[in-house]
Amino acid sequence: MSIVGESVVRVDAIGKVTGETLYPGDFNLPNQAYMKILFAQHPHAIIKRLDTSKAEQYPGVLAVFTAKDVPNNEYGLIMPDQPVLCGPGSTKPFADRVRFIGDQVALVIAETEQIAAEALKLIEIEYEALPVITDPREAMKADAILMHPDKGSNVFGRYRIRKGDVEKAFQQADVIVEGYYQTPAQEHAYLQPEAGLSFIDEAGRVTIIVGGQWTHEDQEQIAHALALPLDQVRVIYPAIGGAFGGREDMSVQVVLALAAWRLHQRGINRPVKIIWSREESIIGHHKRHPYFIRAKWGAKRDGKVIAAEMEVIADGGAYAYTSTKVLGNATLMCTGPYLIPNVKVDSYAVYTNNLPNGAFRGFGGPQGAFAAEMQMNKLAERLGIDPVEIRMRNLLDEGDLLSVGTPLPPGVSIKKVVEACAKAAGWEKGENGWHRPAGFQVETGNPSLKRGIGFACAFKNVGFSFGAPENCWAIVELHGDAEIEKAVLYHAAAEVGQGSHTVLVQMAAEALGLPMEKVELVAADTAVTKNSGSVSASRMTFMAGNAIRGAAERALEAWKNEERPARAEFQYRPPKTTPYDPETGKSEPNFAYGYVAEAVEVEVDIETGQVRLVKVICADDVGKAVNPQQVQGQVEGAVVQAAGYAILENFIQQDGQVLTKTLSTYLIPTILDIPEKVQSIVLEYADPRGPWGARGMGEMPYLPLAPAVGAAIRNATGRWFDQFPYTPERILSGLEE
Amino acid sequence: MKPAPFEYYAPTSVEEALATLQSLGYDGKVLAGGQSLIPAMNFRMARPAALVDLNKVKELFYIKPTSDGGLAIGTMTRDSVVEKDPLVSERFPIVPYVVKHIAHPQIRNRGTFGGAIAHADPAAQIPALSVALQARFLVRKQGGERWVNAEDFFMGPFMTVLEPEEMLAEVVLPPMAKGSGASYQQVSRQKGGYAQAAVISVVVVDENKRCKDVRVVLFSVGETPILSQTARKILVGNVPTAEAIAEVAEKISKDEVDPGTDIHGTAEYRRHLVKVLVRRGLTEAFERAK
Ligand SMILES: Cc1cc2nc3c(=O)[nH]c(=O)nc-3n(C[C@H](O)[C@H](O)[C@H](O)COP(=O)(O)OP(=O)(O)OC[C@H]3O[C@@H](n4cnc5c(N)ncnc54)[C@H](O)[C@@H]3O)c2cc1C
Repeated sequence: MSIVGESVVRVDAIGKVTGETLYPGDFNLPNQAYMKILFAQHPHAIIKRLDTSKAEQYPGVLAVFTAKDVPNNEYGLIMPDQPVLCGPGSTKPFADRVRFIGDQVALVIAETEQIAAEALKLIEIEYEALPVITDPREAMKADAILMHPDKGSNVFGRYRIRKGDVEKAFQQADVIVEGYYQTPAQEHAYLQPEAGLSFIDEAGRVTIIVGGQWTHEDQEQIAHALALPLDQVRVIYPAIGGAFGGREDMSVQVVLALAAWRLHQRGINRPVKIIWSREESIIGHHKRHPYFIRAKWGAKRDGKVIAAEMEVIADGGAYAYTSTKVLGNATLMCTGPYLIPNVKVDSYAVYTNNLPNGAFRGFGGPQGAFAAEMQMNKLAERLGIDPVEIRMRNLLDEGDLLSVGTPLPPGVSIKKVVEACAKAAGWEKGENGWHRPAGFQVETGNPSLKRGIGFACAFKNVGFSFGAPENCWAIVELHGDAEIEKAVLYHAAAEVGQGSHTVLVQMAAEALGLPMEKVELVAADTAVTKNSGSVSASRMTFMAGNAIRGAAERALEAWKNEERPARAEFQYRPPKTTPYDPETGKSEPNFAYGYVAEAVEVEVDIETGQVRLVKVICADDVGKAVNPQQVQGQVEGAVVQAAGYAILENFIQQDGQVLTKTLSTYLIPTILDIPEKVQSIVLEYADPRGPWGARGMGEMPYLPLAPAVGAAIRNATGRWFDQFPYTPERILSGLEE
Repeated sequence: MKPAPFEYYAPTSVEEALATLQSLGYDGKVLAGGQSLIPAMNFRMARPAALVDLNKVKELFYIKPTSDGGLAIGTMTRDSVVEKDPLVSERFPIVPYVVKHIAHPQIRNRGTFGGAIAHADPAAQIPALSVALQARFLVRKQGGERWVNAEDFFMGPFMTVLEPEEMLAEVVLPPMAKGSGASYQQVSRQKGGYAQAAVISVVVVDENKRCKDVRVVLFSVGETPILSQTARKILVGNVPTAEAIAEVAEKISKDEVDPGTDIHGTAEYRRHLVKVLVRRGLTEAFERAK
């Protein structure tokens, strides 16, 4: 039997198409109350006075909660540096201040949403304004005001890589190329804004039904903030309307739990519901980090890169979120999947008064890849070497050392991926290596419409990196008598639309030798599933697959031993990774990777500055496509999202205020804006550690797009643009120079 | 958000609609496709006391040929019907091409030809189109009617000569002259989004390819559709050379438009677009003229 490898229909397809599937905002319970949140609206200030008495007295208001109602007023995925509620009376120092406009100050719980909204306006609040810093390069300066005075510096993440001797190598280089790359913020713009429902369940647990990416991490952070034992908190994820990293950090989780819990303590046993508007969503959750990357690379005449020196600055925004982890990735990926003997990287994550920045598909990879690939394409041009050929001369092979001094894990396929993509895009290998045949250039017949082609490649880690604890549980239960009639898989993976529930069931069926219909999935409820880690880092198929295989094997054994039902659990633990050495960066960063290459064709209207993405060819080594149709969906989705990042989307913040709070001001691609053609080339070079050889793949098609577009624009117009999004005005002013 | 409370009338004939509007006076507002009015009400930017819904007034939905070769379009005709009507594309090929640029299919399925005109959004296609094609509007009220030329209809952003008790009933497009050609050019950040700058050009040439008439209408770059006088002055009576067209484009962008800066683009950029689009539009329109 082979269910793995089949494009089976998604297990959640029918419910979603018919509208039966419930998302967090769709849940209702009898007698529920409604919550609205008072946001700071001020990017940096101390709250001098907060008076909620009028709001409390407003008819229909059940309660108003502020900082003094939070038992342990802090949370955060990697460090608890964010108050649950900002304001006076907090249990934590410096929690009386707001650091970005989306900081949460007060919660109003009322009979209706409208009453809650009216009562919000009655809260009196007095701010003492503090200086606002929005540029991380300013925030790094010694005399800059501290966002978190208890920390002593606005730099909260710092890595160094020292491999070889870059100074000496630059002297030996035949050419040196430099660039100063700036990458923009990006909004996740998932279909479903944040929403949820909290209540006290039959076992007395504070329970929330919400969208997130990691049930057990939410549970832990809620328990910490509410000072409750872990098992007093229950987190349930139903169907989730998209995430892309934007739900990795919490938004409504803690405050929902807090509201139901505090009401309960006051003897008011009512569920609490919240649904954020799009504007609340846009200011209320983090964005993709803007990066500032200074790059200097030296190469020999034959194209071999011998030195890379990078300075990488990430705008962390007001709170850490996952910044240090994102920075870790960018630090590794900013020199590309290349064998470079001398590397020096200095990287920084810095607090500012912008919205916090955090996880977003690619997780530092896209920013790193932009710098690396722009550099590689510039080098190719300077040396007169074809962009594919120069990559072939520098790409990592099995056993080659990364910038951090250790080799990639086994299964390095990047050269084969680049080759597959190049061939599909018209490259040929001749006596002098790879080249694009003359006359390949597309002519439009219109002098103001210029076409160009660009190439880029990348590698993306699968799973948590740099020593972060990494594991995944699965439980398998086999029911029946003589024969297995039904298998139940208990697993905590969040179905954020990516299709994980389907591949989990596919893999369980395969591992058990059962048809899919016999496998039932109980998912993402901390009361019945064990910790499976987050849906992030392209990890879930890889991690869950291995966990499911282990659990299935053991359950089958128990079945043979006549246990009824036969139940087994298994925790998969991948090979260990290690953190950056603080001085040299030496580390074993990851246990698995996926490899990707893209060739794109763009059309630039040189009179209006408009850039149109005509065609994208994307080759991905996914190890094994557990569900080929879903793989294709991920490739196409990533390409479209990356196209938005590169060309259309333009998140604008000014003095700590967001100017693009709606989807009419923050434009994302619609079906009419996407490339005419996305050709996905799915390659299956097994990862020896992956389940059935699978690698993770949800992020990697995203990574090379922006630099490939940058190269194509250069090809079309003769200009390099080191900063994107490639808005018409940026293109035009660049062309005028 | 939900709209403020309002009264609702759903007449089934024009007479009944006009009587209702008459009795409501300033309190009444016509509801056509609702694609602009309903969002405005939901945002509480509009708070009409009463709506007079024309969706049941069957006699306002039509596209009829006129004997002179033009068309008469009932105000409630949906954008998507205009877009797909064979007679429209035969007599006015520019019309479906322009209408296709309005938003997305869902909106064109509800939005109406006359509703867009009455709405007078300075960034809307149909008002500009009506000026470019020298449309005439039949405006009715209880016991009376008048004809208004498109050129005289738009007073400012979302402002027209319509009185509260009046209703736009019909749009008449006079036939395209012999030797005419047209072009539509627009730039928007997102496809289906409002134009940052747009221009409809309609030209007429004689047998010697000299310009007999030229109507260049710009929109989204000022308070109303802007009919260029410069184009007329420079081109009428002359052979439209590339130099002449470039001069027109330059002058229009300098003197005749007044774009603003918004989140999607600066005023300078939109002014620049006007120059590019006018040149492209006129060039194409003259090429097509026959
Ligand atoms: C997401 C979105 C995108 C859009 N994009 C575009 C775009 O790109 N370009 C564009 O041009 N438009 C766009 N629109 C607007 C759309 O085309 C509107 O439908 C149109 O402008 C108004 O037509 P309507 O029939 O919906 O009018 P309604 O919304 O019903 O009415 C609009 C106004 O006109 C008045 N009115 C309507 N009919 C009459 C009448 N017969 N007599 C007197 N007064 C009348 C109403 O009282 C109201 O004040 C968009 C709308 C949406 C929702």
